[in-house]
Amino acid sequence: MTTKNESPLIHCEGLSKAYESIEAVTGVGFELEESESASILGPSGCGKSTLLRLIAGLENPDRGTVSLFGSEISSPRRMLPPEKRRFGMVFQDFALFPHMSVSANIAYGVRGSKAEKQSRVAELLELINLPHLAGQMPHQLSGGEQQRVAVARSLAPRPRLILLDEPFSNLDYQLRVQLRRDIRDLLRQQGVASLLVTHDQNEAITFSERMLLMNGGMLIQNGNPSEIYRYPKTLWAARFVGEANLLEVHHTDGDNRTPLGILNFAKGSTGNAVTVMIRPEELHLLPPDKDMTGGSIVSIEFAGPVQNLTVRLDSGEELRVSTSPKRIWTEGESVSVVPEHFQCYDASGQRLDDEASLNPVSSSSS
Amino acid sequence: MRINSLNFFALLLVGVFAIPAFSLFSLALDSEAEVWGHLSSTVLPVYLGNSLILLLGVGIGTLVLGVVSGFLTALYEFPGRRWLEWMLMLPMAMPAYILAMVYLELLDYSGPLQSALRDFFGWKTPSDYWFPEVASIGGAVLMLSLVLYPYVYLLSRNAFQQQSPAFTEAGRILGDRTRYGFWKIALPMARPAVAVGVSLALMETLADFGTVQLFSVPTFTTGIYHLWFGTANAPAAAQLSLSLLGFVGLLIALERFSRKQQRSHGNASSLKRSKRRALPQHYVFLAQAFCVIPVLLGFLLPGWMLLQWSWQSLPGWDSMRFLSDASHSLLLAGVTSFFALALAMLLNFGIRQPKQRLLKGAFRLAGLGYAFPGPVIALGVLMPLSWFDQQLNQWFFDAGNSPNYWLSGTIFILIYAYLIRFLALALGSVESGMANITPAIGDSGRMLGSPQGKIMRDLYLPMLKGSLWTGALLVFVDVMKELPATLMLQPFNVSTLATRAFAYASEEMLKQAAPWCVAIVLTGLLPVILLNRKLRSSAVPQETSHRLMPVSTETHLQPA
Repeated sequence: MTTKNESPLIHCEGLSKAYESIEAVTGVGFELEESESASILGPSGCGKSTLLRLIAGLENPDRGTVSLFGSEISSPRRMLPPEKRRFGMVFQDFALFPHMSVSANIAYGVRGSKAEKQSRVAELLELINLPHLAGQMPHQLSGGEQQRVAVARSLAPRPRLILLDEPFSNLDYQLRVQLRRDIRDLLRQQGVASLLVTHDQNEAITFSERMLLMNGGMLIQNGNPSEIYRYPKTLWAARFVGEANLLEVHHTDGDNRTPLGILNFAKGSTGNAVTVMIRPEELHLLPPDKDMTGGSIVSIEFAGPVQNLTVRLDSGEELRVSTSPKRIWTEGESVSVVPEHFQCYDASGQRLDDEASLNPVSSSSS
Repeated sequence: MRINSLNFFALLLVGVFAIPAFSLFSLALDSEAEVWGHLSSTVLPVYLGNSLILLLGVGIGTLVLGVVSGFLTALYEFPGRRWLEWMLMLPMAMPAYILAMVYLELLDYSGPLQSALRDFFGWKTPSDYWFPEVASIGGAVLMLSLVLYPYVYLLSRNAFQQQSPAFTEAGRILGDRTRYGFWKIALPMARPAVAVGVSLALMETLADFGTVQLFSVPTFTTGIYHLWFGTANAPAAAQLSLSLLGFVGLLIALERFSRKQQRSHGNASSLKRSKRRALPQHYVFLAQAFCVIPVLLGFLLPGWMLLQWSWQSLPGWDSMRFLSDASHSLLLAGVTSFFALALAMLLNFGIRQPKQRLLKGAFRLAGLGYAFPGPVIALGVLMPLSWFDQQLNQWFFDAGNSPNYWLSGTIFILIYAYLIRFLALALGSVESGMANITPAIGDSGRMLGSPQGKIMRDLYLPMLKGSLWTGALLVFVDVMKELPATLMLQPFNVSTLATRAFAYASEEMLKQAAPWCVAIVLTGLLPVILLNRKLRSSAVPQETSHRLMPVSTETHLQPA
């Protein structure tokens, strides 16, 4: 990453917040650049919404700070109130003001003359493609329309940053996918930085350039989606962001044995490795071969663009394998399994930073 | 800063509400055991017996009237059903003591009914025929049942309506006939709601003073009143109060338990209501009669009589006296509603702030006031305030100037007592309004650049408008109707519509009381109209009905 002279838009350091002795957020630190879009991904109750509210200024931290362009806006001692931060926020239930029309909702945060307000409202209604709904009341709108209005309302005062708290979770699947794209494009077009909280990894991947993976109040990993998917820092992360095959490592005669062969480390890492993680699409199936690990196909799920197979190795382990749907497999068919890309983890679930290779043990020798 | 001031407010409130209770306890425990021994050997068994008979009678009466009429109007279609549905609520507007006054006059020896009977049959003296005595415990049961059954009616009607048609349909497919459907499916499922309704009606029964006083049925409330006025025996009155509170506590426990059950008795998640079935032709008249009778006896007939008597008493009508009483009533009701709403707003906003355990406790305590019968609250506020006045007098006038009743002899004490008793109504209304406003609304306002004050003005107040009016109206009307606490606390020369009407009635000048009663009943109609409108317009009827019920204590009585 290139170092910038300017301070980032948002800089969090050691943020912690507890509710009645339950730690919601513990020691979280990260940066967000101007017009960057990031998402906070984690299971429910991991503290991601609290983190968002800490940045918004709706909660004050027990420890740590939030800075805006290098100047502190949140700390246990001093808080810039949320209304002075010029951040926008979109809530899970949209929180449209039920007693105000669509245009009054959008105009609510806009400062300036009546004419300025009107033109800003018209501009935003155009942007969300709903100019015909200006005079409607919120309860007359569909869920998707309410969502768009909520986004327009938060964009109206030209915020520096938009915070989105699970904004798609109240919508049905089809609508969710569509709106996700529309709103992402809208935010990019407006050049507004965004921070999306979600528990849905697909949402995080499609919405943003960067992911902050959280669990148990802590930031587990911070990086772009493919990096996190391919190099998850912990076993928990590996399982959370996708499907993962986990294989045990046995240490016998100085070898690191796995059902798929013997592990060899480039830097000669010792017997630390306990688990090997392989994504289903990183396993390749070849015709049976004595010199490779053998197995047979147990079940086949056809899922359109991919085929999900379960393969039982001769040693008994079952693995999930994703392949192209072009090759037709049959249940009970014998195959050999070749891993391509994999990661190793130690006993505490942390990834080992050492390149390794898996050398199959030919079935004849054992 | 902010949090500290809220905590201070909470403590103040706890004090305001706890002082009367505390003074009752200390008064009751402080006195010699002889008083208690005397009480328990003489009047206590009588009070206890009468109260039990009243509870049993009113329990059965409201149960039968309320459940059957609720069942019929909720699930069946028959001519007149739409009218009866709202008319069945009308007796709520009639305070029990006014109903008692009307029937005392109506069924008296010299009253119109007995006179007519005598003329018709040619009887001359009371010994010629038998006529039931209305001023009896049976009469009290009848009066109270007639005005209190709407609680059970409303709650059970809702419960029946909410039951997903799937349940009864399932029952019918399994071969149930209607009769069994009622006993085996509909009624057991509505049972928790019915129990809530009955326990509310029973609480009102225990708190009733006017009816039993007029009918000379000695109970706890009249006992407290007489001990205080007749013998000024405060310790004994306090002990009676505590015994009464024991009863009330049992009912609160019952109500709380039933509410919990109500929640677990899986009401249909959808808003789909049961469709009404046509009532078989030969039952139609029976159903109509069953629903008309309580309306007729509980509202239409007494209402008509009151109007007639008002007309008759018009020539000698003391309009100045009426206006003065009405203005006192309006003043007290208006001031109390204003303070109740202000407190309710503050408390409701307060408990939305983080870390407000103390305030939440105060909130629940304040909600309990409604369960305290008027005479008990009156006694509870009278003691500490008159003590305060004494101290003040000693301090100011130890030279021997004339003492003054600074607090205990002014309308301040009335408003204080009303607030304790009726704050729950305002709290409940504001709370139900707030429940519809998610915290995200306030957060949105702040994120859009509005400070707290502007959010209150632009967002909360307009969104709460309906609830605020409802709360104000409920408190207003209940203050207008309130009798025993007002009787015990009213300052010299201050009389309200209710106390004047009661005073007339006590002097057997029932007809003269009619205009006062009409005024009270007319104000009492306002919340009934409001309730009816809400039930009709609301898309979610089950939500509003018991919120608007005079006792919307469900949340305050629940442990958080």
